[in-house]
Amino acid sequence: MTGLAGALVIAFVSAAIAAAVWSARSQFDSAATEPQKTPFLGGGAPDTHAWQRYHIRYYPMTLLFIAFEMEMMFMYPWAVVFVEEGGKAMMEMGMFLAILSVGILYGWREGIFRWQ
Amino acid sequence: MAVSFLKSYARVAQVPVFVAIGPFMRDAVEDLFRDQQLVRANSIRHASILLVAGSLRDSDGEDIRRLHDQMPHPRATIWWNADPDDGLADPLIVDGKTDPKPIMIATFQDLIDARRPSEADLLPDEPPNPWQGEGDYGQGGKGMMGGNPYGRPMAMTDDDLRDGLALDAYTAPFGPFLPMMPPGLQVSLTLQGDVIQSAKVIRSPFAQIDNAAPNVGELRQLARFLRVLGLEPLADRCMDIAHDACMGKPTDAAPLRKLLRWSGARFAVPLGLGKLVDTDVRSRFETWLDAIDSVAHLEKAPPRAPSKAATHRLVDLLKGLEWNEAVLVINSFDSKALIAISPVEDDDGGAHEGDSHTSHSANSEHAHSMHGDGASSG
Repeated sequence: MTGLAGALVIAFVSAAIAAAVWSARSQFDSAATEPQKTPFLGGGAPDTHAWQRYHIRYYPMTLLFIAFEMEMMFMYPWAVVFVEEGGKAMMEMGMFLAILSVGILYGWREGIFRWQ
Repeated sequence: MAVSFLKSYARVAQVPVFVAIGPFMRDAVEDLFRDQQLVRANSIRHASILLVAGSLRDSDGEDIRRLHDQMPHPRATIWWNADPDDGLADPLIVDGKTDPKPIMIATFQDLIDARRPSEADLLPDEPPNPWQGEGDYGQGGKGMMGGNPYGRPMAMTDDDLRDGLALDAYTAPFGPFLPMMPPGLQVSLTLQGDVIQSAKVIRSPFAQIDNAAPNVGELRQLARFLRVLGLEPLADRCMDIAHDACMGKPTDAAPLRKLLRWSGARFAVPLGLGKLVDTDVRSRFETWLDAIDSVAHLEKAPPRAPSKAATHRLVDLLKGLEWNEAVLVINSFDSKALIAISPVEDDDGGAHEGDSHTSHSANSEHAHSMHGDGASSG
């Protein structure tokens, strides 16, 4: 009961602070002007929009991480089920590993395992 | 009530100031920020006061107006030894011999208490290009989706230096008042991600004063470099020693030297980066480190070999570097060496001298006299 009262007090105080801040409208509440929409470059203005495609160069490492991590995530619960199900579970795991290994093979081709 | 309570705290807060530094004013501005009541904002969006220190080039006017308009409300601009913009109704002008610190603090408190109105925009509130594309219904054109969203065309694909995967290249002018770059330097960089594909100097850095005291210039340069590395407290201590040396006070620099050795700053600079003649960024940094011992005992600086840097160009050093490396390279040169390797280039690749600075000699005299009087010391 004491815990519930404490939670209610905290909720009430939080709501009161939020309401006070929300109700205090600033005189400067206006939409951003065009100069304010420009990125800060120390005075200069860009010629092109900043929305662009660029190469995420760590992506092969991410791919490898996800491949091995997903493998392990599935293997722990699978080890429990394997005791009960036997060969059927083994086949399912084989299929799962085969799909994952396609990603690993792709990474291999991309030079993921080469130390640079 | 809650707002009044918060306002009372805001009134005694540090004054966030963004500085646009002009010729011969860099040391004076750095001495100004030794005071704990002022905090130097790294972005104009974190500032309430814009301090324009020194007479700027005519070509810098548009950049100052843009910076002014990017500052959030409530805001004010202080013109220290500078000519104010014509668009301001009530400009705050401080002459070169007056310490602007009390004026900045008073202005900030007036802004918080709404005794001083926030300054209006100087630039028109309109996009640089119309939004619509080439088609009848605003569609089409170059780029990913055509048109000019937010008034700017989309980036187009360009060659990549690393692996040839052509993606969108982003070209933008950086400076002339970017805090991690020397004042006045404006460089147009074409980036693929964070790698610089090409660079072009648009405006040269401003000339700064030569320190009369031995090794003080090196120590100030070391402090700026440490700030770029993110070692702010060590940079502040370097500035304190430089200031003491200017005043002719000997200092025990051994603790700072030890701290710098243990900070690992030396190893944060890649070996061979920014190689010019027979020095690289790390060796130039080590030269400044050696200056700590000399400046503490007010020793005369050893004669230096004439620089051969003038035969090289900054833009060639920047090509292929990542952004953080480029910032280290730019900050590894003192003011004179940087001006020598950063000539302004025409579109056809020819180099010429930068824009003529307005009233250079007058500014130089102002800055020297301020240092002599200690008017700007904290």
